[in-house]
Amino acid sequence: MKPKLIIGIIAIVGFTSLLMYNFGNSISTYVNFEQAAGMEGAHVVGQWDDSEEYGFSMETKQFSFYMEDEDGNVRRVVYPKPKPNNFEEADQLVVIGEMQNGVFYANDMLMKCPSKYNNADEAEFQKAMPSKS
Amino acid sequence: MIGFLGDLFINAAFVSAILAAIGYFIYAQNDTNKHFKISNWLFGLQGVFLLIASGLLLYVILTHQFNFYYVYNYTSSDLQLKYLISAFWGGQEGSFMLWILFSIIIGLGLMKWTRKPYRGPVLFFLTLTQIFLLSMVSGISIGDFQLGASPFRSLAEAMPNAPFLQSNPDFVPQDGKGLNDLLKSPWMMIHPPILFVGFAMMTVPYCFAMAALWKRKYNEWVDHALPWTLGANVALLTAIFLGGYWAYVTLSFGGYWAWDPVENASFVPWLLGTAGIHTMIIQRKSSTSQKASIIFAILAYVAIVYETFLTRSGILADSSVHSFVDLGLYSQLVVFMGAVTIIGLGLFFYRYKELPSQENESKFLSREFMTFAGAMMLFLIGLVIILGTSSPIIGRLFVENPTPPEVSFYNEWTMPLAIIAAIMTVLGQFLFWKRQDAESLAADLLWPVAITCVATLATIIIGDVRDIYYMVFLLAAWFAVIGNSVIMYRLVRQKPLLIGGALSHIGFGVLLLGILASSAYNEMLLDESVKKYNAAIERGEVTDEQGFQKTQKVDFLELKLNQPKIIDDRYKVTYEGYTLKDQERPGQQEYRIKFEPADGEGEQFVLNPQVYPMLSSSSQSDIQWSVDPDVRTGLMSDIYLYVAGSSFVERRNDEAKEAAAKRRGNASTAEDDSVQVQEVNIGRGETIKVGAFDLTFNDYEEADDQQLQDSTIVAVRANLELTQRGSDSSVPIRPLFSIYVKDGENWTYAPPISIPGYDEASIQFTSVDPSNGGIDLKIRGIDTQVEDQWVLLVAEEKPFISIVWLGTFLLMAGFSISIFRHWDRERKKST
Repeated sequence: MKPKLIIGIIAIVGFTSLLMYNFGNSISTYVNFEQAAGMEGAHVVGQWDDSEEYGFSMETKQFSFYMEDEDGNVRRVVYPKPKPNNFEEADQLVVIGEMQNGVFYANDMLMKCPSKYNNADEAEFQKAMPSKS
Repeated sequence: MIGFLGDLFINAAFVSAILAAIGYFIYAQNDTNKHFKISNWLFGLQGVFLLIASGLLLYVILTHQFNFYYVYNYTSSDLQLKYLISAFWGGQEGSFMLWILFSIIIGLGLMKWTRKPYRGPVLFFLTLTQIFLLSMVSGISIGDFQLGASPFRSLAEAMPNAPFLQSNPDFVPQDGKGLNDLLKSPWMMIHPPILFVGFAMMTVPYCFAMAALWKRKYNEWVDHALPWTLGANVALLTAIFLGGYWAYVTLSFGGYWAWDPVENASFVPWLLGTAGIHTMIIQRKSSTSQKASIIFAILAYVAIVYETFLTRSGILADSSVHSFVDLGLYSQLVVFMGAVTIIGLGLFFYRYKELPSQENESKFLSREFMTFAGAMMLFLIGLVIILGTSSPIIGRLFVENPTPPEVSFYNEWTMPLAIIAAIMTVLGQFLFWKRQDAESLAADLLWPVAITCVATLATIIIGDVRDIYYMVFLLAAWFAVIGNSVIMYRLVRQKPLLIGGALSHIGFGVLLLGILASSAYNEMLLDESVKKYNAAIERGEVTDEQGFQKTQKVDFLELKLNQPKIIDDRYKVTYEGYTLKDQERPGQQEYRIKFEPADGEGEQFVLNPQVYPMLSSSSQSDIQWSVDPDVRTGLMSDIYLYVAGSSFVERRNDEAKEAAAKRRGNASTAEDDSVQVQEVNIGRGETIKVGAFDLTFNDYEEADDQQLQDSTIVAVRANLELTQRGSDSSVPIRPLFSIYVKDGENWTYAPPISIPGYDEASIQFTSVDPSNGGIDLKIRGIDTQVEDQWVLLVAEEKPFISIVWLGTFLLMAGFSISIFRHWDRERKKST
């Protein structure tokens, strides 16, 4: 084989393995609140628990709410930014941050919202009914 | 009836497309002109049918026929005309139709301009992709299997299990759900169509590559495909730019780029298409890279279909700020993707052996090598982004249920590749126009390198750059700008139409400079006390009540009405109040935030961020607010801010909560029972503060006699003006004070006047104070405490965003010039 080809193959293999290695490190798995303890940058999926108090506090300049993860654990989540635009509309939340002392400190939050490419679910549709008739 | 017609026309188009494809196939194989003509007619017919179907869809949207699921789901009767039209592509079904429409227009162009032997296969493959796209909106059911989702399906068809529809299948809602408020933006009107123009045009290089493989004519196709690929490239870039600008100025995403899967979905095809343009250009010049041109042309389109699959199949649900729910098209999209990939790569490998390959390898310092290497860099960047975007699938190799990668993954991999690419643009351009060896190239590059070093050093000193990585980045970016400018200068004097490449490369360098400046030097605007607090957090000195260390910083700017704050010793920022803008959206507030230079010299300006209740999701008891940021664009830096909260919004929320509690019948809390009463004295011309209001007593007014008792001896009204503090609109209030005689005694008649908008609150004119000419008022239902008016802002200074836009425009301009150049040449050839 030609030396250039060998160098090329080594370069490709090296690049790919480094890329995959780094990629593997930069992703993690979704966890629940209990597993999130002790993790950095934990991703927790869940739903907003609207039976509890929520809101932005002027004093601490934080938005806090309760979230129920997919295994049913409910924890308070503190988010140091204003309440995101369509927080209440979201049917699923992903919070990214750290668990500390039973409170989840989210640095980032993603919302799955009924937006451009969404269908109305039936529950929502029915809820809208009384005002229509 | 219309629904039936709509489905009929869509499926008629579907059938025409299938027949046209068969005809084109026969024509491509046997070169029978008859089949070509028939297929062209069928293709045109497909266009007419789809145009009618689109017209019908637009018609049912404009006439608010809410029995259609699509109309119900994306529109409402109060929507403005422009948003009704945009609602056409507000959902997946309509956007597929738009995509096909553009594809058909492009097909007509190909019919006219493409010559033998390519035109048969090219039109065959184009029609093939249209068949796949049409199948997504067909809506026919074959047994249990439903082919696609028709935009004309009725509510009952879309939601067969809804109980109220089972009891009354003909039920038609009075109003639709409306377009999401965030999409009610002028950008919604132009961003999606341009994106689909790009998608449709990117099909063309794929078709030509397939035609080349089919007809075994591996060289000439690039001449035809180049202008189309360049066009697709410009369209995609424009769409990406519009999307980024939209995200920046009207959605509070905080920036122009977030590595969101949807953004990546248009960026990766652009990168691969651009890689293809590079290899096509050297193939034209030097008859090398035939394989790479074909592969990139195939991959660019595969990337479009793959990213369509990612964003529309529901697989990315957790990882994007956009949201996608499965329309049931998952398997169809997989088939589409599989088909274009397998047909494309399959034919490529089938022909692989006979594809021309290069006899002797290109030297390192040759335009062939440099251009090819540049294409590879673009390809690698695309690969990294595809890998990151595919994390829900590929990540399963590492963990179960994978999260998207951290943003740093994208930055750490793409930026070094971009640095290498930036340096290569200059080497490539210097080698492109003149054969050079190492020595002559070094001599030629002497001045550009020298100027680059000066520019980089100057930037490092002025910008106080400390980071070595940033310094290298700056060096590469300046090198690209300066080196390519030298080339462009030389070309302009010879043949200006050739500058496309050099100009695009300058744009690339400028874009890199802008990206570095705007992302690395982004700064929150905070006042001194917050800054001190954040510094303490960083040192780990702040603890909460339980003694745990706090780690989250505060990134807000709080302003009290008319109390300026100094920020960074540069700006004096004042909250000057708000205006209600009910005519735009009911309940919308526009805030006035004044920026003045701290030293008093220089220009002052006012920013007007907005807050509005989301109509599509608010209810009377629970208002959901949305924000509209305001950006002050400047050459050096942008100031970007939005309102995170305000006293007005808080009060409205409280009122909504109280009202809701009252409706539920449990309003009898102790607080509400005792209506607050206060008595105030106010002199003529004076203004006093009452709760959240400012109350001005302008003057006395003559009382209107007709309302008064006959025996009235004194009657006067007070001309009052009540303003919500901070607001610039006020309501006049004219309470009456009168004395009349009854049974020989003097009686006062002074009815309380309720305050408009506040049913519980009233003002009563109780007496005239003869000592100072003032009046006594009794005010009920307004907080006795004077409420502070405040606004909480998220404000950022983003340096050199303008440079990012400038780089993007230069790229667009460069590519556009190239379109003209290649199109011009093609036209001359064909005549």
